[in-house]
Amino acid sequence: MGIFSKVVLKVWKFFTLLRVTIVLLISLALVSVLGTVVEQGKSAQEYISVYGEKVYYWLTVIGITDMYHTWWFTTLLSLLALNIIICTIDRFPSKWRSVSHQKTDVSLRFIDNLSNHGAIEGVKARPAEVKEKVINILKKNRYKYEVSDRGEEITVMAYKGKWARFGSDVAHVSLIIILLGSIFGGIWGFKDFQPIYVGETRAIPNTDFKIKVNKFWIDYYDSGQIKQFNSDLSVIENGKEMLRKTIYVNEPLYYKGVRFYQSSYGLAWGKVKKAQFVLVDKETKKQIGAPIFINWNEKIKVAGADDYEVKLVGFVSDFAFDEKNKVVYTNSSEHDNPAVRIELYKNGKLISKPWLFLNFPGLFPVMDDASKSDLILTNYQPIQYTGLQIGKDPGVNVVWFGSIFLGIGFILAFFMFYKRLWINIKSCSDTVDIHIGGMINKNRIIFEREFNALVDKFRDGLIE
Amino acid sequence: MIFSLMFFDITYWMYLIVAVLYLGFWLSRNKWLGQAATVFTFIALFANFMFLVSRTVESGHAPFSNLYESMVFFTFALVAGYLFMEFKYKMKVVGAFVMPLAFLALVVTSLLPFRYQSVEPLNPALQSIWLEIHVFSTFLGYAGFALSFGLSIMYLLKSRKGASESGGGPIGIFPKSSVLDELAYKTIAWGFPFLTVGIITGGVWANYAWGTYWSWDPKETWSLITWFIYAAYLHARVTRGWRGKKAAYLSISGFIAMAFLYWGVAFVLPGLHAYA
Repeated sequence: MGIFSKVVLKVWKFFTLLRVTIVLLISLALVSVLGTVVEQGKSAQEYISVYGEKVYYWLTVIGITDMYHTWWFTTLLSLLALNIIICTIDRFPSKWRSVSHQKTDVSLRFIDNLSNHGAIEGVKARPAEVKEKVINILKKNRYKYEVSDRGEEITVMAYKGKWARFGSDVAHVSLIIILLGSIFGGIWGFKDFQPIYVGETRAIPNTDFKIKVNKFWIDYYDSGQIKQFNSDLSVIENGKEMLRKTIYVNEPLYYKGVRFYQSSYGLAWGKVKKAQFVLVDKETKKQIGAPIFINWNEKIKVAGADDYEVKLVGFVSDFAFDEKNKVVYTNSSEHDNPAVRIELYKNGKLISKPWLFLNFPGLFPVMDDASKSDLILTNYQPIQYTGLQIGKDPGVNVVWFGSIFLGIGFILAFFMFYKRLWINIKSCSDTVDIHIGGMINKNRIIFEREFNALVDKFRDGLIE
Repeated sequence: MIFSLMFFDITYWMYLIVAVLYLGFWLSRNKWLGQAATVFTFIALFANFMFLVSRTVESGHAPFSNLYESMVFFTFALVAGYLFMEFKYKMKVVGAFVMPLAFLALVVTSLLPFRYQSVEPLNPALQSIWLEIHVFSTFLGYAGFALSFGLSIMYLLKSRKGASESGGGPIGIFPKSSVLDELAYKTIAWGFPFLTVGIITGGVWANYAWGTYWSWDPKETWSLITWFIYAAYLHARVTRGWRGKKAAYLSISGFIAMAFLYWGVAFVLPGLHAYA
């Protein structure tokens, strides 16, 4: 034997040990605790504020911030899978043989040594008659049987529930199927999240269609508590509406293998429907004329300052400025410090692109020095968005198939039992002695009673 | 008048009485105490059942929507399972290790903040047929594990050095240690498939509600931890060197993990599964 096959054999032998299974299971249990104590997949900032930079460094080195996807956790899971596969393959053939080729012709000693055994002695009948009666009783109790007849000594082997023997194999194969399903999903599936404005049509990444949000609304109970979040969605493909459905929590939309789930909602942080401005006198601060409403991306003349035109081009809900990159961004999705950006035109020429703050009206003058009046932001109409969780998982049906199979395995393994009886019928001068022995693969207490009841039935049936 | 709260109180005191009766029976071996314990357990179970019924009527949904309701369902499953076992195996003394557990469960339930007790309509995430299936099967599993916990403690007491297999002393009245071991196995062999179904139906539901059947949320992870421990137990029982005491310790660890899965995750660890 070559060194390679020697090593393979050793590894194989190692993984057939149940002790290895137990150690792997306990290690997985212990290690998994870590990932629940340290929150998973948070931002570096959040970890540093909780643990400090030094500890955070080590957490990332070990990978505890995304523990269940680290190489070592995956390795542990793979070792368990390997363990399951090897144990199943290693044990199956001999198990199959022991069930399909029952040993019928066993010795009397074997029967009397079984943990459940009994004897009925001195029955006045011939062995063949006794055999018929025994078989009848076995049939009534739904046992299958095989007979080994040697005239003076007859052995009957009876059994039921032989599939229960394979419950654990079915369960173990199912676990591997479930694991494979989750791997398929990881390779060929994707997950995404899209906040889509009401009225907007958004192209969905990784697909060739678009989703339009027609409406979003919330249902309430009479008590005022939230009952349901709903989004009215249309699937648009090649400019045509292919499907329309109202989704809500627990009721996703399904199209071409992709599911859309109602996940969140809120007010848009990067866009508004329209904004309201007023023109004020720079000196007296008094309002001039009626308020001005401007729609998103619309350009209109400023009534009262006719040389000027304003276009609404930007919005952030929580104004922040990145000094390094000189860009404006929103600090959060909350509307804590809303600001709109306009383009200001004078006599048709763009002169500036100022930000106006709702909370700080007139902080920075918008109009140039030549103007006697200034523009102030007084209100805006926000746009609602619906947050859609998007997912495609071609492995999910494999997982469900494995789960159902697992259920079958569990029924066989935990709720059905493999029971075997050996009955030796031996003539002894003009009477017959009957020795009965029984075995079960688990659940011994229950079987003890069942066995004794069965022996009584034999006794009643034979000595009537 | 909210009937469910009244039935909660009745159940609560009944379980205290029953726990005392079983403990009294264990220590005194008085036959009448044992009889009384069984009779009162039936009454307590009926009161427990009436809580579930009245709660369902009051709220308009199955009584599975939060920690408070599910705990009372847990004690129902536990005590019903115990009574079944008592009749099937004719062993009363086990009640001394199960009923205090049922009472303790209601004590901690009664300590929950008041908002848990009020009848609430279902929030959007819980409005699904999977609520019934998922919680029902999970809690049948929990009940099995709680029974096996009591039995494993008894097994460890019985199999200590110096404890007699039969005869005198409070331990003497225990069933044989082999019987205790077998029953602990039976209850886990009951609980384990139901926990598994609970986890899978939870996955099916999560896939409907959140778009992913597994996200390593603390609740999911702790259910898997509990599952790993009981899987280890099932394998330990057929492995030389791991049978008996080591298996019993695994059963007890499994129960502790289950208790944390149920309560710890709800209060200590943040996550998606914020109801119970």
